[in-house]
Amino acid sequence: MFDGLSLFGRSLLDFGDPLTLVYVALASLLGIVIGALPGLTATMGVALLTTLTLKMSPEVALLVLICAYVGAIYGGSRSAILLNIPGTPANAAACIDGYALARQGLAGRAMGISTTGSVVGTLIGMFFLALFTPTLGELALKFGAYEFFWLAVFGVVISGSLTGDDPLKGWLVGFLGLFLACVGQDSIHAFERFTFDNRDLAGGFALIPALVGAFGFAEVLSVLAEKFARPVIHKYDSYLPRPRDVLQYWRTVLRSGVIGTFVGIVPGVGEDVAAWSSYAAARRASKEADKFGKGSVEGLMAAETGDNACVPGAIIPVLALAVPGSAPAAVLMAAMIIHGVQPGPLIMVENPKFVYDVVAMMLYATLGIFIFGLFLVRPLIKVLQVPRDIIMPIVFVLCVIGSFAIAQRLFDVWTMLGFGAVGFILRRFNYPMAPFVLGIVLGDLLDKNLRRGLVLSDGDLTPFFTRPISIVLWGITLIAIMMNIRAVSAAATRAAGALKSRIGFVR
Amino acid sequence: MEQRPSAFADLLWSLGWIVLGAAIVYGAWTMDRLEYMHINPYTAPGLVPGVLGGSLVVMGFLLMLRSVRAGALKLAGGMPQPHIDLKRLGTAFFLCVGYAAGLVGRGLPFWAATALFVTTTIFVFQWPERRQNGQLVKGALIALVCGIGTAAAVTAIFQEVFLVRLP
Repeated sequence: MFDGLSLFGRSLLDFGDPLTLVYVALASLLGIVIGALPGLTATMGVALLTTLTLKMSPEVALLVLICAYVGAIYGGSRSAILLNIPGTPANAAACIDGYALARQGLAGRAMGISTTGSVVGTLIGMFFLALFTPTLGELALKFGAYEFFWLAVFGVVISGSLTGDDPLKGWLVGFLGLFLACVGQDSIHAFERFTFDNRDLAGGFALIPALVGAFGFAEVLSVLAEKFARPVIHKYDSYLPRPRDVLQYWRTVLRSGVIGTFVGIVPGVGEDVAAWSSYAAARRASKEADKFGKGSVEGLMAAETGDNACVPGAIIPVLALAVPGSAPAAVLMAAMIIHGVQPGPLIMVENPKFVYDVVAMMLYATLGIFIFGLFLVRPLIKVLQVPRDIIMPIVFVLCVIGSFAIAQRLFDVWTMLGFGAVGFILRRFNYPMAPFVLGIVLGDLLDKNLRRGLVLSDGDLTPFFTRPISIVLWGITLIAIMMNIRAVSAAATRAAGALKSRIGFVR
Repeated sequence: MEQRPSAFADLLWSLGWIVLGAAIVYGAWTMDRLEYMHINPYTAPGLVPGVLGGSLVVMGFLLMLRSVRAGALKLAGGMPQPHIDLKRLGTAFFLCVGYAAGLVGRGLPFWAATALFVTTTIFVFQWPERRQNGQLVKGALIALVCGIGTAAAVTAIFQEVFLVRLP
């Protein structure tokens, strides 16, 4: 434990030079602006910023990206509160009570609650990041080909089940993502698959251009295709956070922080599910449940604590397993690889300080959002009033640069266009994007480990189903699938009801 | 508010998934198995895509079954209605693709292509409102300033400050 604290202290000092602090400030600010602008998501922001960090050292580059990530998730609450439009999908739950407070003339208080909730949420997540990553990393060292295969399937299935409202569609796009990751030279024999003799396709689809397309270009099309009225901002009171709000609802804050972090750890689920889960749990446990939806301080606090706690949570599996917990974390993982940092089980063996570097980055990002949350309310409101038909063409220019700059090939720009068009159509027909992204990220893991596992067992499927960690992974995957079959789900609910009543009877 | 796609739309999608999955399975099945290299047959390059294609086919059938049970066949005559302004969508798509695939990297300097794209897009999308308010010249000037400003800022920040090569 003291080793960890000492490494954390060193990491904090490493990032303490003035230039790095300027980067922290700029990245947090940019993140907040990206998050606050409806249509610009954290995923897109982190993907576009990756281009700017190419010439930086890996640590500073990741610090910049993490500050932008945390900033974007926090910044999204501004438009949720002031415009009733979530800046990012993560802030949809904040709209309910945040906007209700704004309509009562309490937008300032709502922004203060969002600031405290986000800061405390990130700190709770950060604590678990430091606590769990080494443990999970140690467990992951026991993973073999069979476990990694199931981890990939588990990630896509769980992400498909929990994001969106149609699991079947989530699984379909998840498997499409897994397939698209197979396009290009295979990782064992370098044989070209589904390339149709196209030399550009031999390298496969690069992750960053694909994500910039799916989240950036698709969003540009969505926003430009719809006509929006100029936003009306409600008058607001003092936006200084009130410690009393945290103290009064400390149970809710703590619960939401824990829920947010654990939702973050589940592969590909992300901040929006964390916010909704925290909100629902707070409502169930609250003595003031009737206030929820009508401007509940507790409800807003729960949503904002949950989504920001999810950010460090989503980075835990990135570091320990090389499996992202959310879509922005997938981009962050790609950025790590671009910068020569290989996340995964060996990171605690080869570079244990890096984990504490990331914890320190979180702390700096939290400071960034806290300071800007206090002092940058008025300029941010001005930014929210810039018409979207001015912002979106500029965003698209950044999408083109972001796709091109990493490998400097025009094919990546076309990849961005293709994934953007496909992503736009899929979203229009209720297909969630998170499992799609996770599929693209995990495709290589699944491909290599299924074949390796079969070679190791000489074609015998038994080890895939009998090793202890494999049993847990396929068991949960199977339960997730079965629970989405109506008959099974109804039978399980009936059985749970019967069990509950029997226990009650015995008591 | 986005509306849920109709059962008929899901039926059409299910057909698309089945065709795509079947095409992947065919591609995987006919893929070279590298027998001349004496590789382990379990490492054949087509194995995983084949499994994934098969999964898409199965899930496509499930989606088809679900959509039929939801009454997709009763709506067979009706096409799914897009809840979107197709004119604005088409314009946005044309301008974006025209810029990214038609202008960038085709000899025109990046800053010029960017200025042209941003100016045109802002002007085109603000056109109806500006015309209604009799502010076309003002709108054109704002679009031009935004276009030139974006081109200059992007080139300076990316190329000069962060040393990123632009297309």
